[in-house]
Amino acid sequence: MDEVAPPVISVRNLRMGFGERVLLDDASFDIHRGEIVVILGGSGSGKSSLMKTIIGLHEPLAGDILIHGTSLVRAGAQEKSRLQRNLGVMYQGGALFGSLNVLENVRFPLDRFTRLTLAGKNLAVRMLLHELEMASAESLMPGELSGGMLKRAGIARAMALGSDTLLLDEPSAGLDPVTAANLDRTILSLRRNLEVTFLVVTHELESIFAIADRAIMLDPHSRAIIADGAPAALRDHSSNARVRQFFNRQPDPLTDRAS
Amino acid sequence: MSTEEADVVSVMLEGRITAETAAPIWQSAIRTLECNPTRPIVVDASRIQHVDNIGLALLFDLIRHERPPGARVEIRGLASKLDSMVRRHDPLEFAEPFAGRPAVGAIEMVGRATARQIVYLRELTGFIGACVHAVFTGRTRRAARLGDVLDVATETGANAVPIVLLVGFLMGVIMAFELGLVARQFGAVIFVVNGVGVAVLRELGALMTAIVVAGRTGAAFAAQIGAQKVNEELDALSTFGLDPVQFLVLPRLLASILVVPMLAALADVVGLLGGALVMTTFDVTFLQFYTQLLGAVTVWDLMLGLIKAAFFGVTIAAVGCHSGLTTGAGATAVGQSATHAVVASIVLVIVIDGFFAVFTS
Repeated sequence: MDEVAPPVISVRNLRMGFGERVLLDDASFDIHRGEIVVILGGSGSGKSSLMKTIIGLHEPLAGDILIHGTSLVRAGAQEKSRLQRNLGVMYQGGALFGSLNVLENVRFPLDRFTRLTLAGKNLAVRMLLHELEMASAESLMPGELSGGMLKRAGIARAMALGSDTLLLDEPSAGLDPVTAANLDRTILSLRRNLEVTFLVVTHELESIFAIADRAIMLDPHSRAIIADGAPAALRDHSSNARVRQFFNRQPDPLTDRAS
Repeated sequence: MSTEEADVVSVMLEGRITAETAAPIWQSAIRTLECNPTRPIVVDASRIQHVDNIGLALLFDLIRHERPPGARVEIRGLASKLDSMVRRHDPLEFAEPFAGRPAVGAIEMVGRATARQIVYLRELTGFIGACVHAVFTGRTRRAARLGDVLDVATETGANAVPIVLLVGFLMGVIMAFELGLVARQFGAVIFVVNGVGVAVLRELGALMTAIVVAGRTGAAFAAQIGAQKVNEELDALSTFGLDPVQFLVLPRLLASILVVPMLAALADVVGLLGGALVMTTFDVTFLQFYTQLLGAVTVWDLMLGLIKAAFFGVTIAAVGCHSGLTTGAGATAVGQSATHAVVASIVLVIVIDGFFAVFTS
């Protein structure tokens, strides 16, 4: 790894929210090449919004997002779209284009942004689909896919342009344990072999412990990052009770509700 | 890029091979392979800095093609983890051509479309039959509540009044004007009243109303029920023991039978009014228009138009609801259902109008 290279994603003093409602204030963290970072937090803590802000779909209220050292917030339209192309994004439901089949969906960014031959593109797409165990589904339409297949096709499309950074929104939510474990294995293998960086929004504990180097936990009450560290360390040694509670999957104490 | 020594062709790959840079490298490498079908090829990959998945596909593409023994392609100097990724795949794995959309001939397409329409008509007839059956079964009086029917009637009928008035009025104006211009050449202006009267009452009042309702209401029925289907709300209703046909379709069907003839009657009135207004410019007064009209049309003409409107109402509601109930999966399917409802109901309305014209002449 190149030590002098700037972080792949750098979030600086970010304030994010909708109008008056601030979800996160003064948040800063860096994600380095080859890291697998998980963003977690309870429902409504702004995990998905943070991801959309990092991609540049939401304007932050204050602060800055740097992609490979270049500001996404201050970038012009053309520069912004070039930076966004560095980031492969998988949306919660896969977000496949309904009028294209799986192979055409994954090939879509290649069709738009490269001058490869059709045979070359098809080969690259098929190798990707094979990697994600989707080879048999290449000619199916999105409407014919199950939830897990939609997600894997979404990941394949996010990866098609060779993005070195993938942002996955709830990749294992709603998947059966075997499929979810396969997906975790795929993520680890992509990191190991292609040094892909991952930012994963999830709250599947098993998946977090399986893949994450670092977990960043958001808290809606204090509107801040309340934890940033290795998942196992946070579970056992965090000074914050809510973090330990989350990682140990414990319910709220009953006395809290009675008061 | 390629140098030849002895009988071995060597290809040098260097730098970053990614989605952005791969296209020319890929093409020239493949060209080298094709130009030297009988000679061994050595690909020197030791100076590659970075590859992404496109670069991997390129490397794999170089070694997967079948070549005679003694003319193999060999990749040297590739970082070991990349090498294992390239060699993980069986060269024959991606050999079969991509199954594109199967091409369908023109005749086959016509045949399929015809078969589809016949199946659809049979389905729709069965559906209307099921609806009629549902009207007469005992549980209906509880299921299709009067409140639901009136709600739909308000949306379908009352809220459509302005647009039906506008369309009906303009239709009368246009008819009278076009007919008047021709009739004036023969000095037969007064008979324009007969033409406008018969056309509006028997045909256009009901037909234009039906087209407006198909666009406004038929599409809405399909979209509402379709969205509920996509959200699995229909399944939820069924598991509560409620029949979606009784619960969702009957109120809409009953409201449409009730309301479309009323709208058609409004369209008749304003259509005649528009015709009468235009006729004053041809020196036919309101009174002349009125007396001529009484001689030209009968109550039967009016009733025929209204009966047709009731049939149109049933058809539009049934097609809309049926489209909604047969919606596929996903949000795009809702849009397709709505489109289909409008197209199918307008076509069916005109077909039914044709039958009426034949059997009542």
